[in-house]
Amino acid sequence: MIKNWIAAIGKWFKSLFVITDNKEPKLLTFYKRPGTKSIIASLVSILAGLVVGFIFMVIIALASEDIELYDAFDGLGILLAGPFTGTSNFVLTNFGDMIFYSAPLIMCGLSVAIAFKTGLFNIGAAGQFLMGTMGSLLVALNVNTQNNPAASFFVWLLALVVGTALGFVWGAIPGLFKAIFGVNEVIVCIMTNWIAANIVSWVFSATPDIGNTSSGKAGYLITTKVTGNGTPDLGLSKLFNGSYIDISIILAILAAVVIFIILNKTVFGFELKACGSNKFSAKYAGMNEKRNIVLSMAIAGGLAAMGGTFYYLNPGIEFKFSSAYMSLPSYGFNGIPVALLASSNPIGVIFSGLFLRYLAKGGDSLVIANYNRYISDIIVAIIIYFAGFSRLFIEIMTRRQRKMTEKIGSKMASSLAFEKSPNAADTKGLKNEGSAKEEK
Amino acid sequence: MQNEGKLLNEGSTVENTAFAPVVEETAESEYVIEMRHITKIFPGIRANDDITIELKRGEIHALLGENGAGKSTLMSVLFGTYQPDEGEILYNGKPVKINSPNDATALGIGMVHQHFKLVECFTVLENIILGAEDQKFDVVLKKNARKKVSELSEKYGLYVDLDARIDEITVGMQQRTEILKMLYRDNDILIFDEPTAVLTPQEIEELMAIMRNLSKEGKSILFITHKLNEIMAVADRCSVLRKGKYIGTVDIKDTNKEELSNMMVGRNVKFVVDKEPSKPSDVVFKVENLTVAGKHKKDAVKDVSLTVRAGEIVCIAGIDGNGQTEFVQAITGLEKIKSGKVELLGQDVTHKSIRYRNTNGMSHIPEDRHKHGLVLDFTLEQNMVLQRYFEPEFQKHGFIEFKAIRKYSDKLTEKFDVRSGQGAQTVARSMSGGNQQKAIVARELDREHKLLVAFQPTRGLDVGAIEYIHEQIVADRDGGAGVLLVSLELDEVMNLSDRILVMYEGEIVGEFDPKNTTVQELGLYMAGAKRNDEALKAEAEND
Repeated sequence: MIKNWIAAIGKWFKSLFVITDNKEPKLLTFYKRPGTKSIIASLVSILAGLVVGFIFMVIIALASEDIELYDAFDGLGILLAGPFTGTSNFVLTNFGDMIFYSAPLIMCGLSVAIAFKTGLFNIGAAGQFLMGTMGSLLVALNVNTQNNPAASFFVWLLALVVGTALGFVWGAIPGLFKAIFGVNEVIVCIMTNWIAANIVSWVFSATPDIGNTSSGKAGYLITTKVTGNGTPDLGLSKLFNGSYIDISIILAILAAVVIFIILNKTVFGFELKACGSNKFSAKYAGMNEKRNIVLSMAIAGGLAAMGGTFYYLNPGIEFKFSSAYMSLPSYGFNGIPVALLASSNPIGVIFSGLFLRYLAKGGDSLVIANYNRYISDIIVAIIIYFAGFSRLFIEIMTRRQRKMTEKIGSKMASSLAFEKSPNAADTKGLKNEGSAKEEK
Repeated sequence: MQNEGKLLNEGSTVENTAFAPVVEETAESEYVIEMRHITKIFPGIRANDDITIELKRGEIHALLGENGAGKSTLMSVLFGTYQPDEGEILYNGKPVKINSPNDATALGIGMVHQHFKLVECFTVLENIILGAEDQKFDVVLKKNARKKVSELSEKYGLYVDLDARIDEITVGMQQRTEILKMLYRDNDILIFDEPTAVLTPQEIEELMAIMRNLSKEGKSILFITHKLNEIMAVADRCSVLRKGKYIGTVDIKDTNKEELSNMMVGRNVKFVVDKEPSKPSDVVFKVENLTVAGKHKKDAVKDVSLTVRAGEIVCIAGIDGNGQTEFVQAITGLEKIKSGKVELLGQDVTHKSIRYRNTNGMSHIPEDRHKHGLVLDFTLEQNMVLQRYFEPEFQKHGFIEFKAIRKYSDKLTEKFDVRSGQGAQTVARSMSGGNQQKAIVARELDREHKLLVAFQPTRGLDVGAIEYIHEQIVADRDGGAGVLLVSLELDEVMNLSDRILVMYEGEIVGEFDPKNTTVQELGLYMAGAKRNDEALKAEAEND
């Protein structure tokens, strides 16, 4: 009995590597799956980024008098350790913070990813993020539930919904322009980004009384803590030693799963992907390509905006704003490498979002190894930059795989040829006829 | 300075490039290229199994075989893209190793690919010299090149406007550019990969003449095709492949079409479609005074009226680019209509959506299977339900029923003999052209419909597949559907149709009964030399 089992396991193990039952090695089949390839490609691009980043650190160490060569190794260690650096007391807090900060990043990554799947480039996540921020804060700061914890949950929920809805509408604008007038969505997205920045500045400066306690200063909007409408943390904050962490990460993961289901299991997702893959055949098949463009951009906008609400509804985060608010939140743009690193797979976005935030946290600590703050930004940027190469790595792997299958295929075919020989009989007669003619 | 001196030395310029032949001419062997016992194996399939092809100097050698017979693989081996698992290649009687396309070009082997490799925004001349330019201080010198190209086009009758941009000239002219590209590189062995698939009948004639010229001047030509008429017209010898195996080589003067097709398919092929006389009944489709705007100021389709009855095949014949594309796109809803009316089953659908037409009795086999017919990155099963995924059969509460789709796809692929590597899960892009087309035909015929609009349903397919699709279309007619067929190939028109309409410059210029007309007569109308307004008027009144 056990012998049989061992034999079966042994056979299975063997089938991973060699041709059994005239089937190619299972590992090769596994490797051939597009999912496997994207994951490997992402890992390879991360590794390549780390290597180049490290080389960069070494060069700086050699060039600078303040930094010794061993600092470069230190730096690499810190970068890899991410939030686990620093005094042990803060490790848990840092880790919780990292998770908190990655939730909005995941949302922005999802926003870019779903647009990619429909063949659109959503570079307007920053503006959508801001609109979400504005919508949610206007609700959360206008209602005081300090004395009524039960109501605070509903106000928070309302804030979340309003913010998301505003982003949905904001994202639909570039979609509408593309669908109706054929204007490239990238251009409209960039414009709506700055329009959003200015609208937000205007709205908050026109309502100076909203939660603004910093009398006379350039203007600070304080946090949702004041009105008691912060995102609930269900004790997570305590668990992580007083970190910012709240339920937004759970919602972000949920959102990723929902987007995954929409794209892969529903009729709507089928249409979105068809439009993204070949808009001409989508039109031929009778799909409403224009509606799909608008909807896809709107959903992308809603996701990015939800990221904004996640970030600023946290009671620990302060929304800083001056009357000349003209900068765009980096979250919106960081969503692009998150989506790229995940090959636009919604589930992959969860991991790439967490990872990039992990890296950024490590980058913040690079000062310990004598590296200037800005240099750490550069190194993180290099790694993110390499994330964009994941497509290239997939391409290279596909090419190599083709060669590999050719090799194995020839082995398989030669064993197959023997079985197939009866079929060859029917061509024999003609063949003789042909060669007879040739001999003439 | 040395460089400059070389460049000034006229005539030697091209030989300075990387394309100069490296093998010296030795004692003349009868064969310029011999591929001996070539075997090439891919996963699970012997794409080439012990194939021997010999190309004589100055001959036109046709390579005949169905899709998937191994023609392209064999040529890729010759061109250095693939390495053979067994066998050898001889050049002028000497064994050579061709490891890459660069080695092939060094031996003077040039290839005109089925899909041209031209830079659209460059001129013809720029495309010809691309990669083999004369340079001086990094500036491209075109003067010598222009002279050489003009001489070549004079010599072989390949007239092209050298300063026209590629996107401005016709497909036939683009092909001439490709041929000039090979000649400019002093290639002596020319491979034509299905060169006529994209050409109009006139352009095919011209190409044949050019090929004869080339062989007269001592160039050796390998001509890959599955069109028997062309082989009979132009080739000296023909080698046949079937399912990766070498079937034989025959002299064209000793053979006929029937024998060739027999060798290619392995059985007798009917060139004439068996069909009962049509029994037209109710009008299923009616177009009245349809006008469609063209890209330029002229209207692409002008005031076209026609009717299709259930149980008949109406064929629109014409030379490519005479408004057929716009006409079909307009009636299927892909393009806007300027004026006129379209009626499907008695219902005005002029301004209805594509989805409405699809679900109310119209099936459409599109002209371009890659652009419209398929989502190439989708799987076969997804493509099979491209217009039906939302129907209750395939979804529940907005969620796709994958099992139902798999079942339906498997049913269709079996019924219509669509072959693919991984069954329903094969990505459409990886399927052969013939099977892609079969998949579309299967999908469109299986959908409930009363009108089938088919644009070149057999374009680029081999004899066996053409025969099959023709049979299916006739069966569809006999099943009670009306068929509106648009074809550029007169054989197909004469074979299949019950009624022929000729379209010329966006207008219907004549209506014919295939039994009472000839290809020659149709040709005159297609070329605009004749038109038959009064007969048409009478016909319109009868309707």
